[in-house]
Amino acid sequence: MTSLPSLRFCVLAALAGPALLLALLAPAGFLGRPWSERWTGRLTRAALSASFAALLLAALLYGAGPRKPVVLSLGQWFSAAGGFSFDLLIDGWSLAFASLAVAICGVVSSFSFRYLHREPGFHRYFVLLVSFVVGLLLVAFAGSIEVLFAGWEILGLSSALLVAFFHERPAPVDNGLRVFAFYRAGDACMLAAAVLLHHWAGSGSLSLLFSGAGAGLSRLGPEHVAAIGVLLIAAAAAKSALLPFSTWLPRAMEGPTPSSAVYYGALSIHAGCFLLFRAAPLIDACATTRVLAAAAGASTAAYAALVARAQTDVKSRLCFSSLTQVGVIVVEIALGWRLLAFAHMTGNACLRLLQFLAAPNALHDLHQLENELGARVAAAHEPPKAAGAAVYLWALERGFLDGLIDRRLVAPAARLAGRLEALDRRLCREPWVSGGAGEP
Amino acid sequence: MPAPALEAGGKETPEARLERLVDRVARVLPAQGPIGIFIHHNTLHAFESEDFERAVVAAAEALSCEPFLPEEEYRAEFRKGRILPRDVRWAVREESAAGADVAVLGRVTRLELRWRAAAYGIPDARGPALDWLLKETDVLRRPRPDVPPDARQAPLDEAGVAALWQACLSAAARAPSAAARAPAPAARHRDRLKAATGLDIDEWVHPVLIRYAGAYLDQGLARWALPGRARGLYACFLDLYSREWARHCGPWAEALPEALRRERDLGLSPAASLRGSLEALGVSEDEAERFLAATALALRGWAGMARQFERRPDRVPALPLPATLTEFLAVRLLLERVALAHAAGRLPGADANLSGLRERLGAAAPAAPAAPQPSGVERAWSLFHAAQLCGATAGELAGLSEAQAAALLGELESFGPLERRRALQAAYDRHLRARVCDALVAHAPARVPQNAAFQAVFCLDEREESFRRHLEELEPEAETFGAAGFYGVAMYYQGATDAHPRPLCPVALTPRHYVGEVKADPSDALVRWRRLSRRGSGRLGRLVRRLDGTFFGGFLATTVLAPVSILPLVARVVFPGLARRWFQTLPISREPATRLLLDRRPQAPPIGEFSGYTKEEMAGVVAGVLTGTGLAGRLAPLVIVAGHGSTSLNNPHESAHDCGACGGGRGGPNARAFAQMANDPAVRALLRARGLDVPGDTWFVGAQRNTCDNSVEFYDLERLPRSQEERFARVAKAFARARRREAHERCRRFEAFSGGPGAALAHVEARARDLAQPRPEYGHASNAFCVIGRRRRTRGLFLDRRAFLVSYDPSRDGGLATLEATLSAVVPVVAGISLEYYFSRVDPSGYGCATKLPHNVACLLGVMDGAQSDLRTGLPWQMVEIHEPVRLLLVVEARPESLERVLERLPEIKGLVDRRWLFAACLDPDSSALWLREAGGYRPWSPEAAPPSVAGDSAAWYAGRRDHLPIAELSRRG
Repeated sequence: MTSLPSLRFCVLAALAGPALLLALLAPAGFLGRPWSERWTGRLTRAALSASFAALLLAALLYGAGPRKPVVLSLGQWFSAAGGFSFDLLIDGWSLAFASLAVAICGVVSSFSFRYLHREPGFHRYFVLLVSFVVGLLLVAFAGSIEVLFAGWEILGLSSALLVAFFHERPAPVDNGLRVFAFYRAGDACMLAAAVLLHHWAGSGSLSLLFSGAGAGLSRLGPEHVAAIGVLLIAAAAAKSALLPFSTWLPRAMEGPTPSSAVYYGALSIHAGCFLLFRAAPLIDACATTRVLAAAAGASTAAYAALVARAQTDVKSRLCFSSLTQVGVIVVEIALGWRLLAFAHMTGNACLRLLQFLAAPNALHDLHQLENELGARVAAAHEPPKAAGAAVYLWALERGFLDGLIDRRLVAPAARLAGRLEALDRRLCREPWVSGGAGEP
Repeated sequence: MPAPALEAGGKETPEARLERLVDRVARVLPAQGPIGIFIHHNTLHAFESEDFERAVVAAAEALSCEPFLPEEEYRAEFRKGRILPRDVRWAVREESAAGADVAVLGRVTRLELRWRAAAYGIPDARGPALDWLLKETDVLRRPRPDVPPDARQAPLDEAGVAALWQACLSAAARAPSAAARAPAPAARHRDRLKAATGLDIDEWVHPVLIRYAGAYLDQGLARWALPGRARGLYACFLDLYSREWARHCGPWAEALPEALRRERDLGLSPAASLRGSLEALGVSEDEAERFLAATALALRGWAGMARQFERRPDRVPALPLPATLTEFLAVRLLLERVALAHAAGRLPGADANLSGLRERLGAAAPAAPAAPQPSGVERAWSLFHAAQLCGATAGELAGLSEAQAAALLGELESFGPLERRRALQAAYDRHLRARVCDALVAHAPARVPQNAAFQAVFCLDEREESFRRHLEELEPEAETFGAAGFYGVAMYYQGATDAHPRPLCPVALTPRHYVGEVKADPSDALVRWRRLSRRGSGRLGRLVRRLDGTFFGGFLATTVLAPVSILPLVARVVFPGLARRWFQTLPISREPATRLLLDRRPQAPPIGEFSGYTKEEMAGVVAGVLTGTGLAGRLAPLVIVAGHGSTSLNNPHESAHDCGACGGGRGGPNARAFAQMANDPAVRALLRARGLDVPGDTWFVGAQRNTCDNSVEFYDLERLPRSQEERFARVAKAFARARRREAHERCRRFEAFSGGPGAALAHVEARARDLAQPRPEYGHASNAFCVIGRRRRTRGLFLDRRAFLVSYDPSRDGGLATLEATLSAVVPVVAGISLEYYFSRVDPSGYGCATKLPHNVACLLGVMDGAQSDLRTGLPWQMVEIHEPVRLLLVVEARPESLERVLERLPEIKGLVDRRWLFAACLDPDSSALWLREAGGYRPWSPEAAPPSVAGDSAAWYAGRRDHLPIAELSRRG
């Protein structure tokens, strides 16, 4: 037990590194006096290296110790009625995921120092990347649903802002907004889960849900477990672009290449998997959630595998290839194969990261491959006759998800908003709302 | 499908007329081919028949781009001294000719007013912005701080400034204002719809069109190909999107399948369908061209690529599919009709008939906003600044009559921001031109080494200038030459490890010869081992490529392969230099010996007409280069012939750094083939018969220089005669030292580098292998002029990698045939490079393809911005950011009458010079006189300032400086 305080210290240090860095970088950006490229680079390198070293040490200490999950409570807000607690949950999974995340972000930031050299948004990029690391670490170590929610929000916000990184063109901003809207749908589910958990269990502690064997779950009725489970699955689905949320994924490829790599190739896309992974006891405890998770994963995998076949640009092709495996990982989690799922997640993250970072190399790679083979790489095959042109069209148009969502969700919402606006105008007779039959 | 062009009566069919129209429309589209072979060309080739200044403005309007840099950038150059007052005055005088000396404000002439307005600027402020400036800042209390010193007789106090402002206001109030020109209404329905309602149907149509065009044109990036592409772009589209599912493309696409089925049942040709669409949209024949041009330009990259498939199927990398611009436009208009019908259905008074839509929209929407007339205050504002710049007083302004005031204001309006930028660009061009002319006039021809130790021939590329200079500094007894880097060997070439042949020659030529490379000793164990390992790694690569998108394959790849991929990933990203050195130490990285199959063989070639060259043809090639460069008759015992290329990673524009004279390929094989030809005794015998003697002990060595990692590879050294070994050792040593020094000079441009020559070489080597490096090299950036003449006229000058250097000896070109051949081969290449850089720099996101960072390789044909966009053409910002957009100055060592005679024989090049797309000058072969070709005549150049002279070598001049450097005279010139 002597090692426990130092384990806690290491984890806190791992969190504090990026958080301090963010505190140094972000205000400078807001004040319009960003750090120089050189100093941004040095600080980021130092903070991420320190954080990674602390995590490795923590993992060593944890491995050498009794290997029991440790809850680290940082304080309480509103002690009455359960209140909001800031708890960190330290166990093997959280340490492993956090180390992976920090290592990958370190590699990507090293890539980005050179890739974004002389880019006007250099500093902004690193502020967003570091806030992403902070968000990921919070998600990894979340011991209460409040911490989880905070990390989740930071992830979503930094992600949407990076999609809209080149804000002088309209497309990135449009797509950033769309990504943000999908994330908000997931966040709403997460928030609902938090409220219900507080309401039913009287506490937001995730050790209730996440520490295995269903010991904590006994305080909740089966219908409560199912409700919270379904909400958490929805939150995870939005973040990991599972069906029916998959349509935002290709739209997120607007930012600089390394940001696409770290978010949609490697980490952000797996954040939903990690959530399900932590919530596995809850999924195990309830057949509905288990079936639902498996169905979401399997259908996503099938969908993405088909769609990936018809994509004609490198980044779309890659993101659907990655999504296929995300779907498979979710199925593995639903089946309870946690170790396999984790290994798979790590592998997918690393491979896709490499593929995304090298995406602009597609032509060079192809020439090299052709020269090695001494022949053209067989140009694409036509889809099997049985599937035919209709399936091809479906795959090319990404299952028409965008169109369906526009028609079934966006258009009714816009109509409703239009009616409300008209009502509003009739009631207030204010001329300040400029009219426009804008299609969103 | 081919339709009969003539009707029964001998009249042209409407479809044929339409096709001709589409041909005209196609000229405004980007002419960039597939990106794997990047060929620099004039971005505005279609506008070349007009004067440069007018053409760029017309093109900017037609293409919604910028013709010149922003005014502020020129002004920054003015403050830096890169543009001098005399340059601006010269530019204004050129433009206004006789009108320059007309007085426009008291004693102030038009020349004075204009050059000051251009150089110091009149801040552009209108409406609320101007109100804010007047009310919230001290512009009306203090005089301008940047007034030229000669304009300020006595500094104005606060009351003086206020009085001047009042005088300007009253002068502006007295003069009647000119009528503003209303812009023509937009041609496309979409534009008017958007103006009237805010609905943008391009947002509906483009995603579908981009996905479809990408799917159709894809060269093998996707795993599934669009079924039945042989039917053509249009027929395939009708088949695919007439399926019921297509209505889910968006709420607007409800009627799409039905409309396409109707269209399909009509069985029209693409041109007939296009005509039908124009009719349905109510576009008359007179405005069809304008309408189609605007329609094509809405997705200009994709439309241009369809056109490239139609016109240059030979340049398509893998599958030359039958696609035409007519088909693309027909598809586009079918989609637009469906979208417009949907949008029109939501307008009040819904009407399915689209032919009158534009008029109805015009009636509903407020008239197109004409540029608002400048108000009195706005006019007074520009007058206020002009008065301060010229030192005019309130009293002078008050004394203006109504007509004089109107004339003055008209004068200011006629010299608005666009005209000021035009004048500034002329001044910007002129300053550099003046410095080049000054340096060439002042430069005393260098001593020519008698019995040179060795000679080295390089490509004319401006990146070779620095290498040649360093080589000469290291080896004063050596001589260097420049020639078009394909060395007369226009061939299809296939290296021993290449999967397919590719042309290596200027894009204007079509090779007839095929040359292959084979392993010298196929039975060698190393060769076998390498072949096996290459095949193995190729199969593995192909397997991963096939698998990784699929369900189970991806599972295997991510669980089994990924752990293996982590280490190389970290190594390559975090330590690119170190990783490269490790890989080099592996035994298999040594390349086995090869040889060229250069001699004529009877076998039919895989491409082209002949396998290999006959001795007679070889003699022709060798004679051409030796005479052209002036090498003939003075050959040293050892001649190095070096081509060049560039390798970089993660760079879709990699090929743009290769040799322009090899059509975007690497010129090493050409140099090697040339050396082999010149060493051939049979060829030498034929040359002797032509009167061109190659001394028996002269030996040629081919080489390739990598302009990115600064490596040099010599070819066929095993054939080097014993007698040459010592001499070659000296060459190799000089090259090895030159490449370190040259790397150091290049690195001065990279902010990430500081250090000495050794570190510089390591730095550029790492750069070439670095996945994270968007600027592996700066390529042709900063190219500015071209000197065609003997090296002695430039040897010893520091030209800062800005000069294309072509060797030409006027003393041995009595008939001017050599000059004609040189100009016709060189000018198209260098003008293409210069103009492409100009346009990509003045409008990086309009003519260029903006920043590389979000680029996404599409269809193996080009890049898109981010997830989905138009295909982006031109050069990325990272390639042009340090470029100075100037027009090329072509200096030819010849008498003016000789150059004029040659230009008469080359009308295309003469046209470019006449219309100022590039400038020409003559350097007298026998004296230091220089003439600039201006408005058809030759004006002798009178030097303005001597170039700086530097005690020492190149490093003494460039050390510690990152900016463009003035041309300097080096005392240690080699």
